[in-house]
Amino acid sequence: MSFMDFLNFHLVPGIVLGSVYAVGAIGITLVFGILRFAHFAHGDMATLGAFIALALVTAGLTPWTALPIAMAAVAVVAIGVDKLFYDYLKVRPKIMTVMASLGVALMLRAVVQVVFGVDPRTYATGIVRPDDYFGLLLRDRELYTLAAVVLIVVGLTLFLRHSRWGKAMRAMSDNPDLARLSGVDNRKVTMLTWAIVGALCAASGFMLGINNELHSMMGWQVLLPMFAAAILGGVGRVEGAVLGGLIVGIAEELSIFILPAQYKAATAFVLLLLILLVRPRGLLNGKVL
Amino acid sequence: MDLLGLANYAVFMGILIGIYALLALGLNIQWGFTGLFNAGIAGFFAVGAYASAILTSLPASGRLGGYELPLVVGWLAAMAAAAAIAWPIGKVCLRFRSDYLAIATIGIAEIIRLVIRTEGWLTGGVRGVTGVPRPFGDLDYMPSQVAYLAIVATLVLVAYLLVERQVRSPWGRMMRAIRDNELAAAAMGKQVEARRLQAFVFGSALMGLAGALFVHFNRSITPEAIDPMIATFLIWIMLILGGSGNNRGAILGAAVIWIIWSVSELLTDRLPTEIAVQAKYARVFIIGLTLQLVLRFRPEGILPERQPGSPPHR
Amino acid sequence: MKKRTVAAVVGAMLGAVVLATPAHAQDVKIGLMAAISGPIAALAPPMAAASKLAVAHVNEQGGILKGGKLEAVLGDSACNPQNATDAATKAVNIDRVLAIVGPACSGAVLATANSVAIPAGVLMITPSGTSPEITKLNDKDLVFRTLPSDDYQGRALARTLKARGIDKVAVAYLNNDYGKGLAESFKAEFEANGGTIAGYSGHEDGKASYRSELATLARGGADTLIIFDYGDGTGLSLLRQALENGFFKTFVGADGMKSEGLVKSIGAQNLGGFFVSAPVGEASASLDNFNKAYKAAGENIDAVFATTSYDAAFLVALAIEKAGGDKARLAESLRAVAMAPGEPIMAGEWAKAKQLIAEGKDIDYKGAGGDHEFDAAGDVPGSYAFFKVSGTGYESIADMK
Repeated sequence: MSFMDFLNFHLVPGIVLGSVYAVGAIGITLVFGILRFAHFAHGDMATLGAFIALALVTAGLTPWTALPIAMAAVAVVAIGVDKLFYDYLKVRPKIMTVMASLGVALMLRAVVQVVFGVDPRTYATGIVRPDDYFGLLLRDRELYTLAAVVLIVVGLTLFLRHSRWGKAMRAMSDNPDLARLSGVDNRKVTMLTWAIVGALCAASGFMLGINNELHSMMGWQVLLPMFAAAILGGVGRVEGAVLGGLIVGIAEELSIFILPAQYKAATAFVLLLLILLVRPRGLLNGKVL
Repeated sequence: MDLLGLANYAVFMGILIGIYALLALGLNIQWGFTGLFNAGIAGFFAVGAYASAILTSLPASGRLGGYELPLVVGWLAAMAAAAAIAWPIGKVCLRFRSDYLAIATIGIAEIIRLVIRTEGWLTGGVRGVTGVPRPFGDLDYMPSQVAYLAIVATLVLVAYLLVERQVRSPWGRMMRAIRDNELAAAAMGKQVEARRLQAFVFGSALMGLAGALFVHFNRSITPEAIDPMIATFLIWIMLILGGSGNNRGAILGAAVIWIIWSVSELLTDRLPTEIAVQAKYARVFIIGLTLQLVLRFRPEGILPERQPGSPPHR
Repeated sequence: MKKRTVAAVVGAMLGAVVLATPAHAQDVKIGLMAAISGPIAALAPPMAAASKLAVAHVNEQGGILKGGKLEAVLGDSACNPQNATDAATKAVNIDRVLAIVGPACSGAVLATANSVAIPAGVLMITPSGTSPEITKLNDKDLVFRTLPSDDYQGRALARTLKARGIDKVAVAYLNNDYGKGLAESFKAEFEANGGTIAGYSGHEDGKASYRSELATLARGGADTLIIFDYGDGTGLSLLRQALENGFFKTFVGADGMKSEGLVKSIGAQNLGGFFVSAPVGEASASLDNFNKAYKAAGENIDAVFATTSYDAAFLVALAIEKAGGDKARLAESLRAVAMAPGEPIMAGEWAKAKQLIAEGKDIDYKGAGGDHEFDAAGDVPGSYAFFKVSGTGYESIADMK
């Protein structure tokens, strides 16, 4: 195997896949950090976003212009889901909200299946051969995916660091009681979090779809690797989620060198268990829930 | 449709409810009384199912066993195997707090599932294990089901009584003390880690037994039976809705959720046949919605924990 | 109090079910156990539609028995034993079906056969369960399948490729009973005939990238990749990624890959090197009949397992007609209507079959997906053809021995 082969067929796919996991894991880590529960509807929300984008593409938009609209749409859905199903469980043990999110996952999947059917779909038919950049084989969609992920991560980081609401979100994540005492509006922060999480869901679903196919189980199937990525990086840490996502994605694609391909899906979990053993707070020192 | 058919259906539901009730009881020991967030139920269920299947089934080429041992041996082995798997996992993972333990156990269950799917020499791989005996399996349809229901119901009852006794004993009080305030319990000289490990192993053994009951009922097991949705998350829904911390609640939750899961299909079947396939998706929606409604109007579970003086929150 | 509420709700649900079930003496129900939710959800609707097409043919052409209506009760087997046995128990006990078509996944077939169909004495024909374990069932002659066991197809495909001058291949299979069964029999036969397997690996479904698997397989130096997977699932991803990255020149799939959706999605112009094997009957007119009717019903032809689903439902109907609605005689009647000798019946020819049965003549159903000459275990030997992509569909280019 040549070095270029390694880059083209193992590392690059791993990075692309890892970036998609990263976008999903950021959402999971935000919910974990700020709202403090494991959001099992995350994957199916991503599926919904991917299919909303598909509907827009079918209506004549190009995929990448459909993306922001789909993100906005799922942001609204996420806020709605919170208001309808999670909000009143706030005063209850968090496990209730986790169960509610499982229920939401089933409902969202059912909606996608009824509205869009269960056949695998794509944003564009046909195949796309890669362009050759000095031996490095890349497709436009992969470059756009990477660019979009960088944009999302940088934008989100700047927002969390410097804007007033971003700081409020971080305060909620670090110490909710203190944040409330200091006058942070709990309700607004929750809403804002869901808007961001919804948009991130849509983005991850879309990127998963454009780099492969869309189908009604796509989100559910990537949910566990995304969880692994979020925990791996450290709960509540955006950079951690990105790092975790990349590690999980790359590890899955490289696992083939040491394990039979059937165990590809196990890679994320083996890594996760190892990290939990040596660094229980994740790579970047996330919070302990 | 006649009453006999309805009765037969009810008996079948009873058997599956019994199996799920055992799983829910096992989880109740871990979560309800001890606060351990085990999200890898499917893994222990699978280990129990395969252990009993391999020991009691007819010899087959290409996989381990079968050894045609008596059923009771299989069932005891199922509990032992699940406990034996749970012990090292607990030893390593119980130091993780709630959600971390959940993710760790999900990961372990997924790894167990992949091993079962892939290692054909051990488990028959994707083809699974067949030729597993069913007690009273030679009887006719109805009597055979009734006999199996009797076995399952007896085991559920025994498990229930055992767990109840444990919970009411000083051990149970200590467990709740650890759950509600670990530091205080530790300060009073309780061996927190050892107690939690006990609860984890005991609960997992019950899950293994449930796996064994499932495999003998269907006379076969394939990896499709240990999908996380149907073998982990569904049980969580049962326990939480039934009332975590209450053994009767756990059993009742298993019954209610399975009945919703099953009967909802009979309802959606009444929709026009042109949309029959969509109706099945709608059924999944109904299941999700029912869950929301119960959480909305009965968030502490149908039968809440009976613990005067102890807060329901944790 | 809430307990009572719950009990009341459940009671009301059951009550509604009781009331809503009309009792009509002549009508006959069969159960269709399709894996509508769960991992192979994409395969289920076309399969259910094909079975329903058979039911529609029966009802359009004179109905079943003495002018009764054949009714299909659709159940969701969800590809797992828990839901499959539940759905089948409901079909058998609540809807009182005479026979079951399905379930789809082998694990569900095994569990349903063991805990519902065999104890209840209900005939069961699966259109897609391919596991050899189904052959071994102690089934009182109640469990059949219209899809040949993987073993036949894997071997036939190996010999065909060898005869076409392909000596070195790589094999990628989906790690389930279907993919693995095909891959194992293919590998054994191909190597026995002097071929070289230059790469052999299983994969799990639902992963977003298969490039590293493909690259590893391609390193074996073979030009031909054999894909044992579903064209409406992971097989599509695998084929697309192989084409996009220039791995392999020729691609060969089994019946699971023969999907019209796949051609639409990837484009026929890109699929010049893609071939599939699929079971066919000796009467190709039967397949034509089916395709025409299936297309008219608004479905994509060449949906995976559609022909076998149609045949399973049609055979069940023929068996019920032959047995005069007597549940105990269904298995024996099934063998009578499906197997030679007898007047050949093509897919869709219900009126003719009904007529002949009424006259007491022996018939032999030649299905769209095979002749269905059941052996003692209820399996069918397959005869296959080799297909290439043509237009938006597939065209047979050679028979396979």
